[in-house]
Amino acid sequence: MQTHLLEMTGITKRFPGVLALSDVSLHLGAGEVLALMGENGAGKSTLMKILGGAQPPDLGRILIDGREVTLGSVRDAKTLGIALIHQELMLAPNLDVAANIFLGTEQGRNFWLSPLQRKPMREVAAQLLKRVGLSLSPDTLVSTLTAGQMQMVEIAKALSLNARIIIMDEPTSSLTSGESEHLFHIIRQLKSEGIGIIYISHRMEEVLNLADRISVLRDGRYIGDLLRSEATHDKVVALMVGRELSGNYFPQHSPDPSAEVVLEVENLHVPGAPAGVSFSARRGEILGFAGLVGAGRTELMQTLFGVTPALSGNVRLLGKDFMPRSPREAIDRGVYLAPEDRKRHGLVLPMSIAQNTSLPNVSTYSKFGFLNRVKERNVAESEVKRLRTKASSIEQLTVNLSGGNQQKVVLGKWLAMTPQILILDEPTRGIDVGAKAEIYRHMAELAKNGITLIMVSSDMEEVMGMSDRVLVMHERRIKGELTREQLSEQRIAQLMTGKVEGAAA
Amino acid sequence: MRRELGMSVALLLMCLGLFISNPDFLGQSNFINTVRQVSMLGIYAVGIAFVIIAGGIDLSIGSVIGLTGVLIAKFSSPAAGCFGYSLWVGIPLAVVTALIVGGLQGLLITRLKLQPFIVTLGGMLFIRGVSQTIVQGGTLSLSGSKLLELANGGLLLYKGDPLIPYPFLIFLGVVALATYVLHFTVFGRYVFALGGNRDAAEYSGINVRLVEGITYLVSAGLAGIAGVCYAAYIGQMSQQVGVAYEMYAIAAAVLGGCSLRGGEGTVLGVLIGSAVMRVIDNGINMFQLPYVDADGIRRIWRLDPNWTFVIIGGVILIAVILDQIVHIVQAKRRIRRAAAASEAGAAASH
Repeated sequence: MQTHLLEMTGITKRFPGVLALSDVSLHLGAGEVLALMGENGAGKSTLMKILGGAQPPDLGRILIDGREVTLGSVRDAKTLGIALIHQELMLAPNLDVAANIFLGTEQGRNFWLSPLQRKPMREVAAQLLKRVGLSLSPDTLVSTLTAGQMQMVEIAKALSLNARIIIMDEPTSSLTSGESEHLFHIIRQLKSEGIGIIYISHRMEEVLNLADRISVLRDGRYIGDLLRSEATHDKVVALMVGRELSGNYFPQHSPDPSAEVVLEVENLHVPGAPAGVSFSARRGEILGFAGLVGAGRTELMQTLFGVTPALSGNVRLLGKDFMPRSPREAIDRGVYLAPEDRKRHGLVLPMSIAQNTSLPNVSTYSKFGFLNRVKERNVAESEVKRLRTKASSIEQLTVNLSGGNQQKVVLGKWLAMTPQILILDEPTRGIDVGAKAEIYRHMAELAKNGITLIMVSSDMEEVMGMSDRVLVMHERRIKGELTREQLSEQRIAQLMTGKVEGAAA
Repeated sequence: MRRELGMSVALLLMCLGLFISNPDFLGQSNFINTVRQVSMLGIYAVGIAFVIIAGGIDLSIGSVIGLTGVLIAKFSSPAAGCFGYSLWVGIPLAVVTALIVGGLQGLLITRLKLQPFIVTLGGMLFIRGVSQTIVQGGTLSLSGSKLLELANGGLLLYKGDPLIPYPFLIFLGVVALATYVLHFTVFGRYVFALGGNRDAAEYSGINVRLVEGITYLVSAGLAGIAGVCYAAYIGQMSQQVGVAYEMYAIAAAVLGGCSLRGGEGTVLGVLIGSAVMRVIDNGINMFQLPYVDADGIRRIWRLDPNWTFVIIGGVILIAVILDQIVHIVQAKRRIRRAAAASEAGAAASH
């Protein structure tokens, strides 16, 4: 048998109460791109933490070039040429690019009072930046970079270690499509240089394009491998969830085209945007907003929700003026937002499901100024039941829930009130396949019950599958509108990148 | 460097204004005394800057300064109730005690992962209490000790007064060393990385706990050195010495451009910040406006010293407000420029 660049066999890791990894094996060849897939909680991150030296395995062997190694620390892993690029980028924003690339590997790092060799670091950094296709000065502060540039700096950092194995965890989750293309280009280049790459992603399209081989984990176990030639979307999903997902992943939904117009937006000027935007939405409609990251969709939604009040414009909700100066005003009118960053803006993580559910209108739960906990519990209980949120009880802290269940708590919090318009910003980001289908089902159900859904999404499949109508934004303007019949991935992509002027705007 | 520049200009204007209103401000005794005060504050403000830049906070340094002085007096003062050992015993003992305090706090913060605010708040009260038990509610006098020369003596004697007080020399040494360590060494880089993104530093293989622990050691050590100077300067050690000094140090560091979020700050800035704090202090005593009252008698108007804290607090608030405004304006300009650039790019591609 030929020796692999990397071989992990029989890796087992137990955390209190959970068997995170059970007898997992994996191998990687030089110049190979291996996609590691699995639902959230399948054990991908734990496996990669072990490989990155951040956690020791309880059992199992790791071989590099056929020789057994121990990865006792992050530094050990680095010395062996293993670089881990985290999903949330690990750069110090207050330092410049060169400093970040060499952080922890400076000359003289074993004697801390030795002087920093800035000049050679800057020179090598400049070369590395060129290698990853960045035309930046190594003196640039990291805080001024875009997400895509930061990703490239991370890769340059890996290259500075002469890494032979680079692990990338959801590298495109915050990149624009142009930046992703650049990343793929660099990955192919690294591959041709003989570097082995382990690529973790939820985005099937990327994986099918990029990976030579796909390894699937489920519930901490290794399930199987698929070669690129034999992999299809359905096959991978079937391995991941352990059953064939029914064909209609996206639920059927047919809105009434003559339903009343609920929301009319005219020339709404969002702070920071060059001009106003106009659009309208009908009762029971699912209105999709497509666009690149940074196209101004989230900002527009924050304005509709009153987080950043509009500079000017005219919005009418159910025929009455609606210009919220604060989220409270929006909430009082039945306009709710399930934000993109659930953990920061959607939930108070250290509070329970029940407390999060009652949060937006906790005043209606009070009796003589005392909180009516029975009512709070009942409401939360019924929302958990309705959305089939998986939790030990409504007293469970939301910090301990999976992404999909956290999103359900956010939805439940709004459904417990009387929504007119529910804005969903990236409703399934970071949520695994099974839970995604459930969220979609709930969305269709809500629309059927006459709630207007505005969905911002960067997931093309989701936009195509869920929207009754799609508005495409580019550089903070609405570039075009596509009806369900006009929808095609190509049309959206063209509008998104600003290549053609509005089709029917 | 924006903050350092702004603060330097403010400092110069303040000095100029004070000099015009009262030429004695630059008179020998007042000027030398102000330099001495700036130096003593600067020594421990530089120390706390290490902690703040690494993203922590140290509330215990005022108490450490007090304890250092009390220990020196207890061990080395020739006065009654003290042991009267050589200063070569008392000073090292006091400074080593300060280092032990810093080391223990650092261990609690880094090993037990306790919050720096709570640990050093506890430390502040605990150490203050220790000083109190030593002085037994009274004072320990250092009169007759040679230590007093440290604060009052110096180089280049002129009319019996030194032009360069010893604390200033110590301060210069601290500034030089700290500038080298913080801005030119591997360790300094790690301190900034720790304050900027702790996880990034940890995942870059840096021993973050050791780096963080050392910052508390530096802070307490420099507070100990400052404590020696204050003991010499004050001469009478009571439990009150050093109360609230940590607030002066934090204010000096923040005025000089350190961010309490960590990752930002310079030694030069802390130096300027310390000078601003002390010149304000001194200026409140020195500022005067001559005027002629209703009866035609020439009088001099002075600031009521009861306003000291109102003025210092006001200055700190104004400084951070101005800084934030500049920040917002710059951010807006950046967005506008980026929008203009993308607009131009779009136009060019058509």
